[in-house]
Amino acid sequence: MNRRKMLSLLGISPALLAGAPVDAQKPKKSDAKATLNKVEALNPRGTPPPTQLVPMAPRLASLDGKTIYLIGDGFPGADHFLDQIGIWFKKNMPSVTTVYRLKAGAFADEDPNLWAEIKAKGNAAIMAIGH
Amino acid sequence: MVTKAFKDLAILNAAKRGMPHERITFTPHPVSGKTPDELRAYVEGNDPVSGKPMMMEIVDALTRPLSEDEKKTGMVPINVGPPSFKDTAVNLQEYFLNNGMTDFLPIILPTEETVDAMLKSTSHKPDEVCGKMAAGAYPPWEFTVKQVAVNAVMAGCRPEYFPVVLAIASSGTPSLFSSTNSFAYAAVINGPIRDKLNMNYGIGALGPFAQPNATIGRAWTLLSKNLGNGGIPGDTYMGSQGNNLNYNNAIIAENEAASPWTPFHVQKGFKVEENAISLFRGLGIVPGQGARGTSTDTPKHEEQFSDLFSVFTGFFGGLVIADPLVAVSLKSRGYDTKEQLIAWLYKNTTQSVKDYKSRDFAYGFDYPRALKGLEPYATWYKMPDDAMIPRWPHETDINVVVAGGQTNAFFQGGSLSYTVSISIDKWT
Amino acid sequence: MGFPTAPMVTIAFKDLALSNAAQRGMPHERICFTPHPVWGKTDAEMYAYLEGNDPVSGKPLMKEVIDSLTQPLTADESKTGTVTPVVGPPSFVDTADNLQQYFIDNGMTDFMQIALPTQEKVDAMLKGTSHHPDEVVGKMSPARGSYPEWSFTVRQLAINAVMAGAMPDYFPIILALAATELTALSSSTNSFAVAAVINGPIRDKLNMNYGIGAMGPFSQPNAAIGRAWTMLSRNLGNSGVPGQTYLGTLGNGINYNNLILPENEKASPWTPFHVQKGFKPEENVVSVFVGFSISQGQAGVGLGVKPVPQYHEALRYNMIPFGPLFGSLTVCDPLVAQGLVELGYDTKEKLADWLQKNSQISVKDAKSTLFAARWVPNSNPPLADDAMIPRYTKADSYNFVVVGGQTNPYHMVANMSYRASISIDKWL
Repeated sequence: MNRRKMLSLLGISPALLAGAPVDAQKPKKSDAKATLNKVEALNPRGTPPPTQLVPMAPRLASLDGKTIYLIGDGFPGADHFLDQIGIWFKKNMPSVTTVYRLKAGAFADEDPNLWAEIKAKGNAAIMAIGH
Repeated sequence: MVTKAFKDLAILNAAKRGMPHERITFTPHPVSGKTPDELRAYVEGNDPVSGKPMMMEIVDALTRPLSEDEKKTGMVPINVGPPSFKDTAVNLQEYFLNNGMTDFLPIILPTEETVDAMLKSTSHKPDEVCGKMAAGAYPPWEFTVKQVAVNAVMAGCRPEYFPVVLAIASSGTPSLFSSTNSFAYAAVINGPIRDKLNMNYGIGALGPFAQPNATIGRAWTLLSKNLGNGGIPGDTYMGSQGNNLNYNNAIIAENEAASPWTPFHVQKGFKVEENAISLFRGLGIVPGQGARGTSTDTPKHEEQFSDLFSVFTGFFGGLVIADPLVAVSLKSRGYDTKEQLIAWLYKNTTQSVKDYKSRDFAYGFDYPRALKGLEPYATWYKMPDDAMIPRWPHETDINVVVAGGQTNAFFQGGSLSYTVSISIDKWT
Repeated sequence: MGFPTAPMVTIAFKDLALSNAAQRGMPHERICFTPHPVWGKTDAEMYAYLEGNDPVSGKPLMKEVIDSLTQPLTADESKTGTVTPVVGPPSFVDTADNLQQYFIDNGMTDFMQIALPTQEKVDAMLKGTSHHPDEVVGKMSPARGSYPEWSFTVRQLAINAVMAGAMPDYFPIILALAATELTALSSSTNSFAVAAVINGPIRDKLNMNYGIGAMGPFSQPNAAIGRAWTMLSRNLGNSGVPGQTYLGTLGNGINYNNLILPENEKASPWTPFHVQKGFKPEENVVSVFVGFSISQGQAGVGLGVKPVPQYHEALRYNMIPFGPLFGSLTVCDPLVAQGLVELGYDTKEKLADWLQKNSQISVKDAKSTLFAARWVPNSNPPLADDAMIPRYTKADSYNFVVVGGQTNPYHMVANMSYRASISIDKWL
């Protein structure tokens, strides 16, 4: 899927906005012939809440000498994958320190204790999400 | 003699088979699961329909001279109503629904115009006989291409889906069967038509996410009702609890592009570029996420399949519906073909003779076959209780298809037997 | 979180990750993609992913990870404020045929014919309740906490009830179902199913089918109420868009109409389900369940033995492939329930207690399942492999309802958990 299209939609079915083949307006009363067989059907879609934009955290100038947390969310295999990322840094950017942590709670839960630990002791994070 | 639960069925069926006045004696229901004492009480009691002593009624049925009606011969036509109905769209929707012609959901009204559009998708003549169908041990009804088109319209099929619906109909397999078991039906679809029709074999393949999958499956049930005389509860449908899959049936378009194995229709002798539909029937489909045999490092999917199968009845076959991730992983672990996997599953999915014999279907169906000397049942029934035997009589009872959107390495298991494969191209 | 983070996601979840980031307020989040899957790959294979390219951007993966942590933010990336998603105009005008296809093509249906929601029909539906059209009934998301919840009103539910083919007198049940806030289309890769048990006199008032074929396509209220659940989950519950809000890799045929289980209270020897949950027998209640699926119990051991079938043994056996994510829901034909009473299980609770004590799994077996961590208790020292642990820790994980037409003593078992019971009368 095209990212720009996705962004403009914010989770709404793209087809709803893309070149609708139907009138979105009520037919004019005078145009009786054209509207003879037309029906007005109500939109069944619900009420999504407004999305609060979240500015991204400022980036680092470089990763040299920094501590990066490698965070898994509990999906099978993520721990092994993050091990490999640790090995990659050791080989390719040895000044970087990596720390592996499993996020507490269910997949979608926040882990405020871990976030606080990273803020205090680390500089950035790489998070493996899903499988 | 029939138990009271089957009263309507027995009377209607006798009439359909030409004996509208058959002298049927009824017992209380059920007979299955009752003690000898309870059964003796049935025999010594009354027929619950007539209220007369049961055994007297049987004697009477065998000895009383026949009446004029009971001796009658000749043909009686069955009335299925006029060729068309005229009313407002709203009233027609209600009429179709209230007269058992739908699945109790809104349909597209089959007008001359919509049916003609459907008929344009096949080269076969509207009046050509497409097949015949019965929902059980009933006289089959014959039907034409046009009659199938009417039902395809009602189900919401677009004209280009029509050859697939014709192929299903021509098989004569109803999706609603009279058995007291509540059977489920599945169809595996192979060939380029899957992409031509935009069938869904990716994420949510078996769910409500694509018009061809949904409406082809629905058409199968509508034509089983309207052309196969199936699905009348108490008459041609006796499933005690019913099966939710009967609404749309399990339409499984194989994910051929992502599968590392031979497509199902090619296994059955078709060419890759041919379009074919393969039908299955049985008890249903369950997901395999609870099965033993997994680990976070190397999931042993074949062990998971076998574990899930270990609670299936051998009366129906076993169908693995594997996400492509599962199939690719199995291939990387040495299962180069579906046949190699099936051979392993057949060998490693076993049961004790004791467990086997204690099952409903073994007792009801296999034991009588064993008495007749049919194999493997005759041998199985002679073996000691603790001997281990295969789950299924034959290796060919196991089948494998690949479908799914690769969001996770999951599979589902069908307690389903393969019945037949039909060319879709023959019906284009 | 307050520190730069590089999220890494496998390519199978691309649409999900992008749309979810946007819905959560980071439309420009710098997401790095790896090939799919990670689970089941060897260390060497995973390292090769890292040395290769991001399959979405085509750029070297680890360079992208480093860039995402170090490239300065753009103006867009630093933006605050709110964005309101658009769901289209309040109504659509066209011919009936065009509107049908428009609703299907825009993901507002289950890909089949609907009853078009005209003002007239929606007004008639709203007469089925005393509640104000603008009253907010609840909110729903495809996975609580993972997606924004959409809220919905009585009127919006009426539109979806019309579309599903419901009659106005079914509307209070649909309102109660929606008020449970349980989506029929969970986003999980597992392909979950849902069920609704319906109790109280409304079952007979609406002519719901709890007899022959209860779970199949044989009754308008069963069919349309079930279908409305899927329709409203999609349109009002932010659910059911494959790849974004629906990730079930194989899908589930039950999602079309869901399992609608009006209990056969009259033929059941046990307490009705809603009374177990504290309601009065004369109250009307819907109780919802979520889990994997439902399977027929005919393969259970102990059903084909003399003198009477050992139904409790069969139930226990049929739950062997259940995982620990969900509890169990057994659907008994009245004949099975009566048989269980004769075996001494004169209450549902007694049967639940027996199953909880007698349905156990070894630690070794539990560890070999996918969700082992939820099953094997964390104890110090760890439990030995041959230790037996209960399949479920609480007897109330075993639920029973009685449904069926007594044509045969059959049962079905569902790996599903009870979630909530809601008064239908409150929504009259």
